[in-house]
Amino acid sequence: MKVDPSFFKPIVDATRKTLSIQCSVESQPGKPFMKSDPTRITKGVEIAGVIGLTSESYNGSIALCMTRPVFYSVMNGMLGEECEESIEELSDGIAELLNIIFGDAKAVLNEEGHAIQMAIPVVLVGQNLQTAAGESANSTVVLPFNTDAGEFFIEIALDKS
Amino acid sequence: MFDPSTRVLVIDDMLTMRKIVGKACKSIGLTDIIEAKDGRDGWEKLTTSDKEVGLIVSDWNMPNCTGIELLKRVRADGKYGALPFILVTAEKEGSQVKEAILAGVSNYIVKPFDVDTFKVKVEEVYKKVTQS
Repeated sequence: MKVDPSFFKPIVDATRKTLSIQCSVESQPGKPFMKSDPTRITKGVEIAGVIGLTSESYNGSIALCMTRPVFYSVMNGMLGEECEESIEELSDGIAELLNIIFGDAKAVLNEEGHAIQMAIPVVLVGQNLQTAAGESANSTVVLPFNTDAGEFFIEIALDKS
Repeated sequence: MFDPSTRVLVIDDMLTMRKIVGKACKSIGLTDIIEAKDGRDGWEKLTTSDKEVGLIVSDWNMPNCTGIELLKRVRADGKYGALPFILVTAEKEGSQVKEAILAGVSNYIVKPFDVDTFKVKVEEVYKKVTQS
């Protein structure tokens, strides 16, 4: 389904704000693309936080997907120290970040009348993770962000409710 | 500011956020910190602590017993009812802030936050405590 692009702006703003304030990591948004686009593949994702979303307009999910270098850069900034724990031991950090991003964006979106409810995030850890594939990739929008440590992605999969 | 010997109870289901809040406490001189992983565990730690807890800093959204449920339980208790209680949460919508105020929250920190914001919020709580 086609989603109004204005839906994405609060998510982009909340992502940049959260990484800057909570992690001291500055990020630049890139050009959004469809997950099904064969020319733009999200490679090397090793950790993802996924949160379910329901509203009067949409049902779906939002995923925060990071490569290992970006995740450690973000966690080092978030905790104010060089993290030596494994990616699994630090995994709740991505869930917390997604909670903060989504909580911030939700407040703005709900002021615009979306009436969004959020669920508890789940975390996926593994090599070359893909949170959407096949049919679902056709309705998943990817918002890329650049940081000094590399690229990360917010993947938004929505259907009409 | 709170006396450095004040015991702080930090409650969050996310280890990462407990570390962040713990570090923020230490950065403002509060080094006696105990942790709990949800509201139920928080109540247990509060009531069995070998030293009196002087400040609670709790997340809102947690399994078993949420931060707001714990706040209501604390406020309804004869022994702990006046304890300074700060909620730290990603929820910043008006209805939720209002619910927290009505439940008697001492202060409210919206994530994301930095250490300076944390310090200001804790100082505000201290002023309220000393003025009452």
